[in-house]
Amino acid sequence: MKKILTTASLLVVLATIMNSCKKDETAVAPPVPGNEFLTTVGLKVTNANNASDVQYAYWTDTTLISNPPDSINTPVLNLQANQKYNVEVLFQDRTTNPIGDVTAEIKERQNYHLICFTASPSLNLTVTRTDKDTNVPALEVGLTDLFTTGAAGTGQLNVQLRHQPNVKDGTCAPGSTDADVNFTIRIK
Amino acid sequence: MTQKNWLVPVILLLCVASQASGQACNYDISGYIKDHQQKPVIHAAVRISNGPATYTDTAGYYHLGGLCAGNYTINCSVDSFMIAQKTFVLNSNITLNFTPFEPSTDLKEVVVSGTRVHELSTLHAVELDNKQLFQTTGRSLGESLKNIPGINTIQTGPGISKPVIHGLHSNRVLILNNGIRQEGQQWGSEHAPEIDPFIAGSMTIIEGAASLRYGSDAIAGVILLNPPALIDERLKGEVNLVGASNGRMGAVSGLLNGAGDKKWEGFQWRVQGTLKRAGNFKTANYYLNNSGIDERDFSGTMGYHREHFGLYGYYSSYHTKMGIFDGSHVGNLNDLYAAFARTKPITPSYFSYKINRSYQEVTHDLLKLNSYYNFNNNGRAEIVFARQSDLRNEYDVDLPYSSDPAVLNAPQVSFKIKTHTLDLTYHTPERNHFSGTYGVSGITQGNVFRGIRYLVPNFRNYGSGVFAIEKYTRNKWTLEGGLRYDYRWLKVYRRNDNSLTVYTQTHTYNNLTAAVGATWQATPELSISGNSGTAWRAPSVSELYIRGIHLSAASYEIGDSTLQAERSINNSISFKYNGQKLFVQLNFYDNEINNYIYAKPSLTGITLVSGTYPVFQYTQANVRLRGLDAEVNYHVLPALAIISKAAIVRGYNKSIHDYLVFMPADKFDNSVKFGLPDHGHFKQSYVSLQYVYTAKQTRVPPNSDYVAPPPGYGLLNYSMGTDLHLHNNPLNISLSIENLTNVAYRDYLNRFRYYADDLGINFILRTKLTF
Repeated sequence: MKKILTTASLLVVLATIMNSCKKDETAVAPPVPGNEFLTTVGLKVTNANNASDVQYAYWTDTTLISNPPDSINTPVLNLQANQKYNVEVLFQDRTTNPIGDVTAEIKERQNYHLICFTASPSLNLTVTRTDKDTNVPALEVGLTDLFTTGAAGTGQLNVQLRHQPNVKDGTCAPGSTDADVNFTIRIK
Repeated sequence: MTQKNWLVPVILLLCVASQASGQACNYDISGYIKDHQQKPVIHAAVRISNGPATYTDTAGYYHLGGLCAGNYTINCSVDSFMIAQKTFVLNSNITLNFTPFEPSTDLKEVVVSGTRVHELSTLHAVELDNKQLFQTTGRSLGESLKNIPGINTIQTGPGISKPVIHGLHSNRVLILNNGIRQEGQQWGSEHAPEIDPFIAGSMTIIEGAASLRYGSDAIAGVILLNPPALIDERLKGEVNLVGASNGRMGAVSGLLNGAGDKKWEGFQWRVQGTLKRAGNFKTANYYLNNSGIDERDFSGTMGYHREHFGLYGYYSSYHTKMGIFDGSHVGNLNDLYAAFARTKPITPSYFSYKINRSYQEVTHDLLKLNSYYNFNNNGRAEIVFARQSDLRNEYDVDLPYSSDPAVLNAPQVSFKIKTHTLDLTYHTPERNHFSGTYGVSGITQGNVFRGIRYLVPNFRNYGSGVFAIEKYTRNKWTLEGGLRYDYRWLKVYRRNDNSLTVYTQTHTYNNLTAAVGATWQATPELSISGNSGTAWRAPSVSELYIRGIHLSAASYEIGDSTLQAERSINNSISFKYNGQKLFVQLNFYDNEINNYIYAKPSLTGITLVSGTYPVFQYTQANVRLRGLDAEVNYHVLPALAIISKAAIVRGYNKSIHDYLVFMPADKFDNSVKFGLPDHGHFKQSYVSLQYVYTAKQTRVPPNSDYVAPPPGYGLLNYSMGTDLHLHNNPLNISLSIENLTNVAYRDYLNRFRYYADDLGINFILRTKLTF
């Protein structure tokens, strides 16, 4: 009996030693090159009547980048009352240097995406999407928009990137959410 | 919803019409199997050719009832080795006593002395034989066990299901596939066991703390899948064909086996393969888009045996691609609430076999080499080596943000785990009513995680265990007890995202487990068993280190690297009465688990770019799981049986004085089965009607789930079958209709209940030809 147990334990040891030779797990895979994370949603707002009046606001995911360089996790835009603004929605990967541009990939897959805007009731702001995808019939995308401000007021603008593979119908309901962030907008 | 109600009367009418003529099926066979010293052969399988099967009790007694007149062959086997066989004509109740074949040189090499140790026989176990497994062919492993009281499934849509034993699942249920611990990715509720159920000739489910024999993790129980014994005939085979209306599922599985003769005497072989395909499954009112399955499996065995020893090699490969229902994709919690508020998913409802993103693709390969040696003193030693490799790739619904085609085609999450195990066991011969099993086992695993999203780290672990189980059998008593020591070492490898250097963390766990049990065979019909045992489980790497969003669950999970091992104390008592007309089985259990690991809702949200998620933090508590499994089978008439089963489990968190989340609701299963007389070539025909009621789960802790548990529901299932005997090649045929009334329902244990109903009506035709 003793003999068997000794042989057995020896075999176990032998097997483990043999197996410990190849250790794939010690090489922890580096970040996948060429892949981009969506870390940041930005708004580039240009006054329709004054091309030099340009503002940027960025919302950055603090679980992916613990201290965003511009520290803007409560982004604010200051707009003038009763004005029109041309808006570009920017999607970025700030885990890399230089900053990665995710907007291009979303533009490429525009037939699967829709950007939805919801202004809080205190905010007198109308958002009109100005771009169209290549679906038949063409549907709005929302990467470029027109903001029309009303009377003065402050509120939140919720911006959502909806992912709608094969189910895009022009409304926000289908699909799932890829980005869902809030911007504070002050209309003066 | 109930437009198919007309089916019920039509089918009932068919049943009545077809039982009008014929002879009675009420003959009994019983007897004792005793060895040459008149010692009972315990737990020998007694099987009628293409008919029912049973096991001998501690007195060596067996009983098979409700048989029709005819020619039969009866086989007795121990541990898959045939020890006796007889062909006879049945036209009255008969007694057949058996003595195992003499140990001889004619290659029936197994020396059976009635001492074969069935370890942990005092724990409550349920066996599914070939015949019962035929009724579940085409289902996944989890689904095929659902009819056993005390067993449920946790599901992620129609394709992915995992067995739940007494309220526990995943890492707490150990699956032994052909004697080998199944080691894949088991920690998530969407990680189904990577096993083709067609490989099993029988399954045993041990409910209770079985760590003593099978090692750590077996806190809830063990599922043993045993392939049929290799045969001594030249060539035999089997073909299974299954078709189901729901999902337009088709499965074909075949096997060929045989043995060499003359100078190849002693060689045995088998090849087996399965193909399974299903498209979009349908609920009562709509299709579940992208819920298809594409599975391809094969296995092969070679063996060589002489009088004293045997050498076997086994290889199996499992590959599946499973679509994840489109309507279940939620970006964040608001999406989930919106999906739940809808009465019907807004994804298109149509049938297709195509599997789009998102899907999971899993490959599992197993190589097993084993050998045994029978000593002259009737002792038996066995050595088993196994290598498993499991690759799981998960593809999200959205493509990665990249223009590089290599990145676009890569899975978002990929795990590759390789496991090597080595087990040595020695079964002592019986001496003065004592017999024992001793063993040592070793395991090592390496897990490589690749992916775009971080989920769990790479790791390496080593484990070893040593155990001894001693059993005392005398007259009406069986007593058993054992001790086991386990050691486990785990090292995780992680990369610092800023410095890009790899750093490691090491954990060690060791534990002593023990169990004692007794069975008292009061009469040949009535036995009472009690078992008290401990079990343990080391925290899984996901529980220690997970950080991220769990797919399809809209929750952000955070692991805790300081978690301790779980330890449980399990007490169970079971009664079994196996009489002429009445069969009753009751099993009461109490499982006290200290340091039970669970994901606790932390009541705060985390805001990511994709929205706000509830945070679940892994933590530990002392919990109690208590319950009862009951089964009553009463033959009102020789041909008419009423079968009632009930399973009740209560999970309670003793640390925070609250219920445990995701516990199975109470389940009551009643059926009527009518055996029809043989008619020409049609034998063993039956019709059966089953009503399964699942109550609403009302015992849930607050704030632990997004929505309230769904209401209770009742499902009506119909089934009929026959064995067609043509030219000695039996053809088993069965037609089942599940969810006959096409009820729209949602099950508490199905994670997709947030998004869609469960499956609607399903017609299933199963056939099996043995040649």
